[in-house]
Amino acid sequence: MTTECKIGVYVCSCGTNIGKMVDCDAVTGYTKNLPGVAVCKSYKYMCSNPGQEMIVKDIQRYGLDRVVVAACSPRMHEPTFRAAISHGGLNPYYLEMANIREQCSWVHDDHQQATDKAKALTCAAVKRVPFHEPFDMQSVPMNSASLVIGGGVAGLTAALELADANQPVYLVEKDGKLGGNLARIDLTSPYLDSAKDLLAERICRVTKNPKITVMLNSEVESISGYVGNFKAQIKSNGEAVTDIEIGSIIVCTGFREFDASKVGEYGYGRFPNVVTSFDLEKMLKEGRVVMKDGKTPKYVTIINCVGSRSGKYNRYCSRVCCMTALKYANGIKSAAPDAFITNLYTDMNAFGKGCEDFYRRSAERDTIFMMFDKHAPPTVSAAGKGEHFNMLVKVNEILSGEEVEIPADMVVLMVGMEAREDSMNVARLVNISRDKDGWFIESHPKLDPVATSTDGVFIAGACASPKDIPDTVAQARATTARILAKICQGEIWVEPVYAEINEDLCSGCRVCNELCPYSAIDYDPVKKRSAIISVMCKSCGGCVAGCPSGAIKARHFTDKQIFEQIEGVLEWASSRA
Amino acid sequence: MGFEPRIVGFLCNWCSYTGADLAGTSRIKYQPNVSIIRVMCSARIDPTFVLKALSMGADGVVICGCHPVDCHYISGNYKAMRRFPLLKKLLKEFGVEDERVRLEWVSASEGQRFSEVINDMTDKIRALGPSKIRVQLDADKVER
Repeated sequence: MTTECKIGVYVCSCGTNIGKMVDCDAVTGYTKNLPGVAVCKSYKYMCSNPGQEMIVKDIQRYGLDRVVVAACSPRMHEPTFRAAISHGGLNPYYLEMANIREQCSWVHDDHQQATDKAKALTCAAVKRVPFHEPFDMQSVPMNSASLVIGGGVAGLTAALELADANQPVYLVEKDGKLGGNLARIDLTSPYLDSAKDLLAERICRVTKNPKITVMLNSEVESISGYVGNFKAQIKSNGEAVTDIEIGSIIVCTGFREFDASKVGEYGYGRFPNVVTSFDLEKMLKEGRVVMKDGKTPKYVTIINCVGSRSGKYNRYCSRVCCMTALKYANGIKSAAPDAFITNLYTDMNAFGKGCEDFYRRSAERDTIFMMFDKHAPPTVSAAGKGEHFNMLVKVNEILSGEEVEIPADMVVLMVGMEAREDSMNVARLVNISRDKDGWFIESHPKLDPVATSTDGVFIAGACASPKDIPDTVAQARATTARILAKICQGEIWVEPVYAEINEDLCSGCRVCNELCPYSAIDYDPVKKRSAIISVMCKSCGGCVAGCPSGAIKARHFTDKQIFEQIEGVLEWASSRA
Repeated sequence: MGFEPRIVGFLCNWCSYTGADLAGTSRIKYQPNVSIIRVMCSARIDPTFVLKALSMGADGVVICGCHPVDCHYISGNYKAMRRFPLLKKLLKEFGVEDERVRLEWVSASEGQRFSEVINDMTDKIRALGPSKIRVQLDADKVER
């Protein structure tokens, strides 16, 4: 089998990403002499049009029947090269990639060692690929209904977008009302339009739309199935359970705010007039900014980055707090024109459309800005007896280099965004991953920001990372574009990679039946053999390794293929010794 | 050049392989002694994969999967976790030192942790020296 194969090997230097650490010519020089290799070339960008065309032409010119691309991670460009060889007339599964960028050139700093490792990885791919088998994609029907989890601005927008395209939507909200975190907000930055105006129209249209089933006080209990064909159980008011069938799932579960009482030096919970941004929103919504004793504050200090950009709490920036702080400076100035407002910040992040202008306008309205080092945050203490203000904020102002004491009647803490406490449960429910801070991980941070590692499950808004309203809405709409594209096709194509049982080898012991987490293995009592229901199999391979008879084969991850890879990485190394 | 360990890494596609890719995109440097083989899940790792690698002269084998509770396939990592001690028992009988074969949890966001695992393992095996099988294989080759 091996010697009959004609393998084309393509080594990408990825501009200089691979080429500056790995000697690609040395890799091709070594690889071209490996058994079965008919042609071996290197090129600066294999994924570019000329790169792909080179492969397509070579397939025809040299009669290639297998292709190895040594380049980036298969998680990046495997689909690209599968499509390319398919275009050249080969089955897409006749491709193997060697990851010589993410797992080689980018992580090593010795040219020789990196080049050696690239050779070993390429050798392993060349040894594996002759044992690849051709598969045809499986077509499954696409259910046009969608489940939207979370009724904030992202969920509302996604639901409307799908319903406007005439597709049924189930909108599940944990709370008793729609609106999410946006409903807790008064005005929005930087244009100071009312959050209520943004929401009221959405909520009204959602509740009136016959295509949308709104389920309040409800939670998703369980989800099973796969893209295009999910089943979910929704529990409402703690008891009634509804079973629904959907093709796609959009997760829009939002965020929770950082718990300000964790930062002892700010005195939240100790001083009644130290409030969080959400406490202040409540006052602004009620139209009166007052201290606990009902009086209007004269001195207001706003502290940014509470719980954010810190080694102690969350390392990331929450993105929206700087502009929200400016919004408060404006809002308090309008509610209490005589108030003296200081904004303590670490860096002013005014990156969005209209935000830099907003910063300038706020400065013109007599807000005093003082910069502090995020590692040396300000402190809040009680004012001395007889003072005409009730707290004293001390800050090392780093632009002037002076220690400044600021009188304060009210301190506003700009609390950052955090992943919700139930994000782990949600991730498990829909089978997606979370990053170290608990945010859901997207399929690709730049090129596929709303898809996830589970086909048919999408994420939008602040459940994926801190986000402002425009970005949240854009993401919500992006998810629906992805879903509508699939609905338009009517059917979807799923990978034909699953496990298969060889009936002749199966002893009918049923060990695999219990191992399968998806109940995808059935036992036939007449034949006394087990069989795998292919559409339910998710190809983990747990049964393959567990079968005492070696009767189960994992498509595209067979024992033989993996043995060849092991030999490849080690043979190369020992041939050198 | 002194002894350089040859280590084979079996990484699950969803957490650990992605974590190793993240080490790459974050340009976190680690030692180049591990060659990675991707499998869909740590539950796919047949003990024979590890035995094969060791019999081919690998100085070490590392299996990486999703953290407990975080498996893409619900419970695959628990299967790997339960099979692992049995394998270790067998390896002990064969005289394979404990440090040579490891099971580690690396999530998709732990590029840093992945690099630390690899560096730590490489250092420990470098200190331990080549595997007995490798020494024998090399000797056989010279004889031939």
